[in-house]
Amino acid sequence: MSRSIIHLNIADFAAAVEINQQPSFRGYPLIIVPIGAPRAVVYDMSEEAYKQGIRKGMPLARVRRLNKKIKILPPSFNRYELVMKDLLKESFTFSPLIESGKSDGHIFMDVTGSSRLFGPSVDIAFRLKNAFKKTFNLDPVWSVATNKLIAKVATRVVKPIGEYIVAPGDEKAFLAPLPLHLIPGLIKSDLTRLREFNLFSISQARALTMEQLEIPCHNRASLIHDYIRGVDTAPVTASCEDFSSIYADHEFSEDTNSAALLKQALYFMVEKICKNLRDRKLTGAAAKIIISYSDGMQKSSKLKITPSTYNDMIMFKKCSLLLDKAWTRRVRIRHMRLVCEKLSAPQFQADLFAYNTKKNRQADLVAAMDRIRAKFGRVSIKTGLAMMVSESRQVITE
Amino acid sequence: MTNHFDACSLFVGTSGYSYGEWIDSGFYPQGTNSSNMLDIYTKFFHTTELNYTWYQMPKAAAVERMCAKVPKNFKFAAKLTRTMTHEIKKGYWQKEVMSYRQGIEPLIQSKKLLCILIQLPPWFKRSIKFRHYLAALLDELSGLPIAVEFRHDSWVNDKVFYEFEKRKITLVSVDAPDLPGLFPQLDVVTNQDLFYIRFHGRNAKGWGSGNMQKQFDYDYTDLEITKWDSVIKETIIPKARAGGIFFNNHVRGQAPKNALTLIDFLFEKQREYA
Repeated sequence: MSRSIIHLNIADFAAAVEINQQPSFRGYPLIIVPIGAPRAVVYDMSEEAYKQGIRKGMPLARVRRLNKKIKILPPSFNRYELVMKDLLKESFTFSPLIESGKSDGHIFMDVTGSSRLFGPSVDIAFRLKNAFKKTFNLDPVWSVATNKLIAKVATRVVKPIGEYIVAPGDEKAFLAPLPLHLIPGLIKSDLTRLREFNLFSISQARALTMEQLEIPCHNRASLIHDYIRGVDTAPVTASCEDFSSIYADHEFSEDTNSAALLKQALYFMVEKICKNLRDRKLTGAAAKIIISYSDGMQKSSKLKITPSTYNDMIMFKKCSLLLDKAWTRRVRIRHMRLVCEKLSAPQFQADLFAYNTKKNRQADLVAAMDRIRAKFGRVSIKTGLAMMVSESRQVITE
Repeated sequence: MTNHFDACSLFVGTSGYSYGEWIDSGFYPQGTNSSNMLDIYTKFFHTTELNYTWYQMPKAAAVERMCAKVPKNFKFAAKLTRTMTHEIKKGYWQKEVMSYRQGIEPLIQSKKLLCILIQLPPWFKRSIKFRHYLAALLDELSGLPIAVEFRHDSWVNDKVFYEFEKRKITLVSVDAPDLPGLFPQLDVVTNQDLFYIRFHGRNAKGWGSGNMQKQFDYDYTDLEITKWDSVIKETIIPKARAGGIFFNNHVRGQAPKNALTLIDFLFEKQREYA
């Protein structure tokens, strides 16, 4: 039995999310650019901008030459991630085997085993597309094929709207007339080399033997040999298989560069992450902070935590240093993310004669706070630092 | 299977043929690859409904490749795409008809088109607006063999049947749960060139569930099939030169099983009459 792979692709995902947020932009050329960057390039653009010749990665200066009045927005990466999470939640209704980028609007689903429960794969894809449209006002292109490569090519063929069902056994014939650049996995240098040999379409490249293909493509020849024949055995890797990190988000209700507010937000995120670690009897050995500025620029910094810990106070001390390291610009901050990585079971030797140390007192204090919160609710006790932070915008995810 | 009852050619098959559950049910041998299903299917049946054309506009190249895979006397009933039945956009659907005509051209060229199946949604009631739309749609599709399936009982009307007779349009007879509002089971033949019957199963509980696996999960008993066998033989066949009979209760492989049972009954009758 062949596999049934669905690919859902929300064209110009970031632009679509922004337009949903500000519907007045609908129908106008719009680009998403981190404006503060010295050589800002287009992160994403609306269909209208695409029609004017604007492409991803194009320098902002060149875009302005093409259209002086184009609408420009800074990226909100965290928002794209949140929308993506909602889309995945909807998709998990039909299959646990889902693969997606963090915020690129691409979702692969393996529904080979789901058809007995939910019906034919084309019907699942159609229902999901309708659900995305109805719930999130996002209209994906979709395809159904026997592997990820064919499914992705199929959505590229019909983008920005439509659907494509590639029947099992029809893969080679489907690919034959298409240009080579539609094949995912072919990098720029591959395409350049193939073009130098006057190979533009898949059928032209397919006429070459493996030995002949090795001349332009060298050690990538066998990979490309498979790609142009629609061979792709890569499984859909379930995103839920990644348990290696935990992260917490904080979005400021107003962009800020107040050190006090940033520290408060950081403490709150540390508190949440550490509680999660304690509940799962894990410790974190590395932390990363990602700061998103109001102009769309991002800055991140990372450090090791030795020894690994789940103690709020110890982790906060380390993360404060991390914040100082990552916070390098005067521009106001819109969003912060703290990621705790290298999770492992706690491994420490208790001291025989040093019970009343600062470390132990902190551990006792945290344990006592946990007990109070378990009995009276999470907001029943707070540290001074966390008192002023709005909790409504906190998100914790693993 | 094609059976000839004097002057009436019968095409019995199922709605679609590519279902993983049919391997579990034993219709396809264990380990059958999806790409080989049509080949095996054609050994049992001489017709099938193309369901995927409802989801996606047919593409001539793909249809042509499919035509090459089936025997010469095999026929396809192609569903009309949803953009002309369920998601109609004013001023846009005419272009869709053009694209559809181009997409199914290989079926016509290879003489493998049984008919175009227009399956209309339950909310498509007999109102002035929808009557006008249906008339316009049939005009746009003129020259093609057409079968229309209603899902709302407001279309049970002699004027409708008369108009269909005049236009040589086939009214689809349905076997479905006996639910209020649903188009009832009728044996009206409006087109002498073709009659068309669809067996959806009688799962009243699952019908409105929105889940195909519940809606079409039904196994017809031999008695139920025998009753239809009599109706087909005695009432319907004498009025038509050809007929398509399709089982849509595809869940758990009931459709091919029931279709083969009906073929067996029809053969027996043929022998009896012979």
